[in-house]
Parts: sequence; structure tokens; C-alpha cells
Amino acid sequence: MESRRGLLKKTVGGAVLLAAAGAVPLALRKTKLREPPPGRKLLFFTPAEYSIWAAVADRVLAREGPDPIAPSPAPGQVDVAGKADAFLSPLPENDRKDLKQLLALFDNALFSFLMGGPPRPFTKMDPAQQDEHLRSWQTSRLAIRRTGFQAMKRLSCAIYFGSPDTYASVGYPGPPYELVKSVLGARR
Amino acid sequence: MIHKGDQIAQDLVLKPDVCIVGSGPGGSMVAQRLARGGAKVVVLEEGGFWTKDEFDMQEATAFPRLYQDRGNRASADLSISVLQGRAVGGGTVINWTTSYRTPDDVLAFWRDREGSVLTPEALRPHFEEVEQRLGIAKVDLEDTNANNRAIYDGCKKLGWQVDTTRRNVRGCLRTGYCGMGCPVDAKQSATLTYLPDAIAKGAEVYADCRVTKIEWSGTRATAAIGALLHPGTQQATGLTLRVEPRVIVVSGGALNSPALLLRSGLDQGPVGKMTWLHPVVAMGSFYKDRIEGFYGAPQSVASHHFAHRSEGAGFFIEAAPVHPMLSAIAMPGFGAPLRERMEKLANVSATIALMIDGFGEGEEGGTVSLRPDGGPRLDYPFGARQYECFRAGMKAIARLHLANGADEVHSFHTKSIRIVKEADLEAIDTAPLGPNLFGVFTAHQMGGCRMGADPSRAVVDPQLRHHLVKNLFVVDGSVFPTGLGVNPMESIYGVSSWAAGHVRAALS
Repeated sequence: MESRRGLLKKTVGGAVLLAAAGAVPLALRKTKLREPPPGRKLLFFTPAEYSIWAAVADRVLAREGPDPIAPSPAPGQVDVAGKADAFLSPLPENDRKDLKQLLALFDNALFSFLMGGPPRPFTKMDPAQQDEHLRSWQTSRLAIRRTGFQAMKRLSCAIYFGSPDTYASVGYPGPPYELVKSVLGARR
Repeated sequence: MIHKGDQIAQDLVLKPDVCIVGSGPGGSMVAQRLARGGAKVVVLEEGGFWTKDEFDMQEATAFPRLYQDRGNRASADLSISVLQGRAVGGGTVINWTTSYRTPDDVLAFWRDREGSVLTPEALRPHFEEVEQRLGIAKVDLEDTNANNRAIYDGCKKLGWQVDTTRRNVRGCLRTGYCGMGCPVDAKQSATLTYLPDAIAKGAEVYADCRVTKIEWSGTRATAAIGALLHPGTQQATGLTLRVEPRVIVVSGGALNSPALLLRSGLDQGPVGKMTWLHPVVAMGSFYKDRIEGFYGAPQSVASHHFAHRSEGAGFFIEAAPVHPMLSAIAMPGFGAPLRERMEKLANVSATIALMIDGFGEGEEGGTVSLRPDGGPRLDYPFGARQYECFRAGMKAIARLHLANGADEVHSFHTKSIRIVKEADLEAIDTAPLGPNLFGVFTAHQMGGCRMGADPSRAVVDPQLRHHLVKNLFVVDGSVFPTGLGVNPMESIYGVSSWAAGHVRAALS
């Protein structure tokens, strides 16, 4: 296993093989599907891609123990995956294609196995395995995996922490609307 | 008058004296100067037109609306996050108001190396006018927030140079939301100053208009072709705007201006090469007391103590605002460690070290090329020079915050380094650096259409006229041959004011 991993990491051909892995039969181990919230119509993701992003968001934004400041909503309550779908839908065709390949690869059981992880899709791993899978992408010697991790992490964080529903949980009182309103009123 | 994309019902052909592509500090300034002189001016701006009543101080609204690529612009490998404005008024709508003149030694470097004709004396009257028009004034130390004050106090304790900055505001409430569009019109953006001046003199501004190419033949540019966008979705409406002026001025900013030239087949000279970013590394310092870096003027203190270093590239130190979305994107890690840092957000001081790029022998900086969709692709590889500077910047930030009494300082490496004492700094020297192994950002994009006397080394001549196409000018930060070592907005305004005289001469 170690030699295969080494080969994959060191060669340019490895990147091609990794992309091809998305179509290998082991990948037929299917994504564990999750339903979008009622009324959320997917514009970019397939149901499988939505489910992968939702699973990623759950771990990227996971917390342990009670909220120390104020209750924080679960990523699903903020609909991180649904909002990611809406955000990504206007992307240029080339970027859309790259993202879909990324998600397919990320949830690919064979690819996980080749990289030394469990032979199952990310969406079917337990939380500890999912964290390890994310960590392996985050710190990978393969630049494309690190890039993929950052793409998923940044957008998930932007959507979650950009939501006013999460402000109290990080001790942020929100914008000073009253101050602005009073000053603008006085100026008028 | 400002026209929005959905207010235009048919294809248009316009024949003004001048067509200016972009409405940031470069384009707005040239528009004002030329319109004031009686020229018929058309400005084409890809971004939308927004006013204070639409600035709701929410990151989730502001970034998709007011920033390039809806706030997601980055280098091709995502290793550098690019904060760059996209609106009528360009970067002046969302920048953090820090205003400096171009340093004399930078102008001297440009003259010595590239044949620039810019001198402090030549630029002085332009800077003076800009400072008066924009209300640029030095910040009182008492008006700094705790996020900035920590830098000031830490530097003072170490004996390092530090001072308050100058800001382009009038009647500032110090809400802290400069980066999301000023909600009270205190920031004197181009949208409130030079553009209205130009419009009052007859200039026409077309928002939501993406210029896809410049048509040219021989040594003459003949037209700028724009695709109109819907203001809400930013998707093409299918209508086009064709402008056939006597002179075209490209002011799309670094990254966009070189991309437009490349899309137009104007690839003579080093188009897109030597793009400079002032690449930024950041650190988060955790204090016992609340810092509340989300409120108060975002940048009001800077240290240039390390701007000239014998060890390698210089850097300068400033603050960054601490709003949740931007902080979460920047902070390292995921899951519980990330959430724990975020829960201390109110107690974090965010400090950045900006590398002064472009002054090293053989330094190449970044390269802008074209993505398959025609947009700019940015590549900026790092080497030993950059890594040495990044490490020095991280250590300087940690030192000043430890001196100021921070409990701990966290690096933005993928595996964050926690620093509580001087001895912990050694870990910064050994931590792996590489694309996406630590956080790098840029809010200052420069170069890519550099000015200079030698056509093999420069895209535009010292008067900012294109070396091949004689009725085409580039007037924005993309003409800078190097980084500046200071925040670039005032330099762009000043150089553009100076360059407007050359554009006017081309008209006559």
C-alpha cells in the first residue's frame, strides 16, 4: 500500500489516475443520500453531490461539548449544502466540471482505499473516519487534494459563519444598526 | 448618469471621445479629469452600482455583491485568497481606507530600473488635490480600536517604528464595516467623489457591463465591446454595448486589465507578468479582554519597521477586521479546533504582515493568464525569498503581541502553531510551507501591465500609453513596476491624475 501511495503522490500520472478512479467500479459503493430541506430545489448539485457536501459541512463545522457562549445551529439547520448549491450554480462550465469531479473523488471508496483510508465512501464513514479523511486531504502531499479541501472548507465556513443565526455563538453582537439608523436619521 | 444593466433594452453603439474600462481609483480619476476638460466620456464598469442604503453590513451580502468572483477570487491553486473590489467605484467601495503617497524610494527605483518619469515633485500637486478631495487625514491614536491599538502598543514596547495611518473619511462613525461598503457614506469612495464629479460634467457610466475585448488594427484601438449583465444575477442579458471612441483607457485594475489585453490579442510585451500582490500572512492573538475587532476603524495603525531588511524582502504590519465569515475562512483547521478559535472571536486581535514584493533581483512575482472562460487566472509561485519573509513576518507579529500581553498567538498554518513564549517561535522556522499548507491573502493587486521605457520589459510607456497601440492607455495599479510597500489606493489616484494629462494630450 505504501508503495502505491508513494507512486501516486510523486507522479503527474498519479493525478490522472486519481481522476480516473472516479469511474472505477469500487466507486459503485454509493453515496449515502440525504434529503435537502423542503422547498430547496437543487440548481447545481445532484442529490449525491448535495449529500457529500452536507456530510463535509457537518464535520468541518463540528463542535464538541456544550456551546460556551450561545447555542449554535447545526450546519443542516443553516442549510450549508443547499446554499453552497445556489452559490456554485452560476460558475463557469469549467469550474463546475472541476467541482463535480472533486466531489466524486472525495466520496470515492476506491480512492479512499488507495490513499490508505477505509474502502467506503466518505458519506458512509463514521465521524472519526471522516475527520481523518478530511485531514488526509488537508495535509496531503498531493497539491490537488489540499486545494480540494480548501475549496470545501472555505465555502462551508463562509456560508455558516456568514449566517446571522450563528453570530451569537461566536460572541459577535452583529452590525450596529441602531447607531447607523440614528445617525442617518439625524443627518436627514 | 449611471445606467444599470437592466435599464438598457437594446444593443447600443456609442461614439464618445474617450472610453474608460473600469471605475475604480484609476478610471474614476481619469473620467473626472477628462470630463472636466470638456471631453465626452463613457465609463464601462463590470460591477454593479450600489449605494449606502443597500450596504447592510452583512458579509454574506457584501462579498458576493462587491468583490471579484463573488468574494471567491483566488490564485489558480487556491493558495492565495484575493480580496478585490468589483462595483461602480471599484476597490474604493470596499477597501479599509488606508491612504499613503507613493514612497520616494519606490519612485526612484522605478526611474532607475524602468525609465519611469514619475518623481515626488511631479506627483505632489496630484496627491495634494486627492487628499483634499477625499478628506485624507491622520488618525488620532485615541480613535483606534483595540485591534489596532494592540499593534501600536506592542511595537512601542519593542522600540519598533509604528504610527497611526491616514484615512479617506469624513464624519466616520468607526462602525468597522468599510469592507462591506460604508453604510453612512463617511468613506470618500470614488462613487461619492470623482465619479459624481465626472457625471456632473456629462460623463456616462454603464454599470453591469463586462468588457469582453478591445478591437484594434495596426496601431489603433477601434472599439471596446461590452456584454451587459443583469444587476441581480450578473448573468449576461444577451445585449451588447459597442463603444467606438478616439481613445480607450483600460482601468480594470491588476488581474483584470492584463486579462482584457490578453483576450484582445494584445499580448505584446510582458502582459500579465510581474504581477505583485503584497502577499499577506496573518496571525490571531488571543487576549483575556475583549478586543471586538469587528467594530472600529479596521485599519488605523501600521508599522514599517521591517520595510527594508538586509535579510530579504521587507514587510509591513497592519490590522485586519475580525468579522465572522472572513475570520472563519482564514483561520486554520476544521471541526472542534476551528470552532474553539471562533468562539474566542471577540478576544482575537488579527494582525497581518504584507510582503513588499518586486524589489528582489530576478523576482518574477505572479502571472496572469486566461481561464477557459476568459477570466483572469493568477499563478504566484513562492520560493525561498517569500518563505523567509513570511516566517519573519509571522515571528514579528507574534513578538509584538507577546510584548503587549497576549495570552497566546496562533499561526495560520494548516497545523497551527501555538505561541505563548519567545522560545515557541522556533517552530515557525521548521513548519512546512507550501501551497495550502498555510494561509496567504492579498488585498493589494499591482502590476501585470507594467510601465517602462523598454517595450520588452513593459506593456505601457512612461506616460502609460500602450507601446504598440497608440490611442490605448492603461491607467490603474497594473502599471506599477513593483509593489509599493504601502496600501495602493492613493498611489493609483495620484498617478492616474498625473496620467490624465497624457490622455488629454492624446485627444488633442
